[in-house]
Amino acid sequence: MVMHESSGAGPSLRQAATLPDVLAASFDAFEVIRLLARASEDQVPALLAAFMTAADAAVDGREAVTAAPSLPSGGEGAGAPAAAADTDAWVIADGMAALAVLLGERLRHAAALSLTAGDRGACEAAAEAAGRICQLMARGHDDASLR
Amino acid sequence: MTPVFGEFLGPAGRHITAAASFRDELPDAAKYGAIRQLERLATTLARYVGDLDLPDEFDPGSDLGLDFDVRPALDARTALRRAASSLRRTATTVCDTAADDEHPSVMHLRAAADYLAAGRDLLRTHFAAPPGGEMARNSFWAPLLTSGQLTAALLTELAALARQLAPWAAQLSVTGPMSSGDSIALHVASRWMWIAGASIESAQRQQPPPASARQLLISVPANVPPARRPPDGPEPVAGLSEGITITSERLRHAAAAFASQARWSPAANSVSWRRDALASAITGHCSEFILRALAQRAAELCIDPAIPARLAAAADVMATVWPAWRSVAHHWDIVSTGTSTGAGISPVAAESGDLALRLGRLAYRNPQWTPACSETSLVRIPEDLAATPEDISRVLSAVHQATDATTRIATEDREAVRAAAFDNRLYVPTRMMPDGWDMPYRYSPAPASFVDDLLITYDTAIMANKHAVAVLDDLAAAIGTPSHLLGMARTISASQQAQLKHLSDAPAEPQQPDMLPQPGPLGRILRDLQISEPRALLRAAAIDKAAHDLTAQAKAQSQRRGRSQRHPNPLRTSLRSRSRVLPQPGNAYTKSVKREVITAATTRFAPVMSSVARRSGSLKHRRGTDVVIRLAWLAVVRSVLASFET
Repeated sequence: MVMHESSGAGPSLRQAATLPDVLAASFDAFEVIRLLARASEDQVPALLAAFMTAADAAVDGREAVTAAPSLPSGGEGAGAPAAAADTDAWVIADGMAALAVLLGERLRHAAALSLTAGDRGACEAAAEAAGRICQLMARGHDDASLR
Repeated sequence: MTPVFGEFLGPAGRHITAAASFRDELPDAAKYGAIRQLERLATTLARYVGDLDLPDEFDPGSDLGLDFDVRPALDARTALRRAASSLRRTATTVCDTAADDEHPSVMHLRAAADYLAAGRDLLRTHFAAPPGGEMARNSFWAPLLTSGQLTAALLTELAALARQLAPWAAQLSVTGPMSSGDSIALHVASRWMWIAGASIESAQRQQPPPASARQLLISVPANVPPARRPPDGPEPVAGLSEGITITSERLRHAAAAFASQARWSPAANSVSWRRDALASAITGHCSEFILRALAQRAAELCIDPAIPARLAAAADVMATVWPAWRSVAHHWDIVSTGTSTGAGISPVAAESGDLALRLGRLAYRNPQWTPACSETSLVRIPEDLAATPEDISRVLSAVHQATDATTRIATEDREAVRAAAFDNRLYVPTRMMPDGWDMPYRYSPAPASFVDDLLITYDTAIMANKHAVAVLDDLAAAIGTPSHLLGMARTISASQQAQLKHLSDAPAEPQQPDMLPQPGPLGRILRDLQISEPRALLRAAAIDKAAHDLTAQAKAQSQRRGRSQRHPNPLRTSLRSRSRVLPQPGNAYTKSVKREVITAATTRFAPVMSSVARRSGSLKHRRGTDVVIRLAWLAVVRSVLASFET
């Protein structure tokens, strides 16, 4: 749960007030998710497919946001996620799921407020990608033997 | 399941044997029926041999690089054509006579002719004949079908049928109720059939085709993908294995079909290639688990002690495959073909997920496994995966099929990515570039180092996949899995390529850097003008493809016209002599054809051109693009006319 907070992606998303701010923060949040997923692929063999697919969905989301006309051209770039190498893969998955939930909410809200079809379509597509990440990372049963 | 050639060839042979077993003299009405069916059979046999990729009888210089003696095949082709011609004459003269088509021997002959015709249709599904164009290979089986070994195997089968029919036709010629002229024609036909059979058999007595070639021939499937079977609910191991085989077959079809569109289709985009890489990585990862479980189970079942070790070795090889694919997927995190809203994904990418899902369900205990964390589970216990040695064979076959399919997809994807790179259609998000990266657009052209790295990772993944496929080919042959045909086909294909390479001294792999696909006239113009807008480039590729098709069509029409002028059809000649309404070659004629081509080109390209112009950016940019498009349009029309004139 702490991961996305420490990377700054969560607070940026919450603080974003305008559509360009939401889009810029979403771009960075998807990047954080992608980097976290890639860094965690090797931790648990049974979770390789989950993390790889989540990274793929994060790229989809980032590409969708990139297509939004209101995305500001510059950018600070995503801060490197602060997940330690020895952080439990399940904890990382929980953090990614929480960030994806927040992303989905903000993007759906932004879609509703968008004035142009381009922004609305981009926000909806990105929200759909966030939904997929959430679905992939949400924990169903906690099988201790997999850890 | 998809029908295979053996399902038609086998019954055809049995029906001919049954018909030839009638030694008693047939009633006259049945003889007429038999003559008609014999004519159908001889015509079909002649068409089979006519379809073969053989050199022209009168062109000794033509050499197709076949690794067998073509002279007997040419003799057989001539003999069967003459047999069919003789029988056609006899059949025409008796066509008005009442015939008994219900006599058992006639029914057998009719069934044999039907089966043979259907078998030929099946083989021809592997070749496409565009209107006015020449036959083109249309599937992964097509190069095999034109290989020397399969050609020789097919000729052996046809020769055996002709040899069975010849004495029977001869007997009919001496007992038949026809006129002496028809009897002689029937006898002549029987002689030609005998010559056809004998010429092939005598040649192949010295150099018989390998048994594997016949086995492969009868296993050639129709070039029709099996119906999709989406993985919706839990399936037993047998169902999963069958589903993997079906999906692999569908993916092979889709990869071959999409390859020709990869240069211009909007669905040939980074999303599709990224999905393919993801599915290949998951498929390889699950395959490794499955092979390890199979190795353990083979040891438990105490089958041949070499098999568990070979299965374990195959698992080790598979352990190098999926990391290579993961590396490809990592590269696609950054590189992109730009925004592709509404373009969709390729048919391969749309279905490659099915393969990964089923392999996952085969590898893990959870029957409803998905990549989601909520569905993670432990890997299957070996006994659950394969209770008996037959189960080992079935599951190994599924893994083999999946690995073969991903290898073929990978090869097509690499070529498509290479073409996209050459067309400058690969980008990176500008926001992800370092500070000071001066680019006012959302995407920047991908730096050359990124593209090189991407292509290198593809090469590495393909090499790893090919190694795994080779190991699985050997293993499948040793265990005798249903998929062992894949390895057999690869061996014959490799020997054919080696033969061609030896003859032409050309490089076997056409993927050298100096042989990159070249953009068409419009693509070159846009590239020279440094226009890198993805949609404009994609449309340019589409227009170039359309121009290429139109050129090919015009050339084919021109060639047909030339042929008909060199070898005038009597019917056409008589029509021409009666009425001089057809245009004659000359200035007026050429001008009218030019006008026709310009009209066709205008109709075909104008909407696309205006659409490109409409969609390209600012007014200033649009005006510039308009000029470019007009120039390009003229270049395309000129190239069409130039190729037409040549």
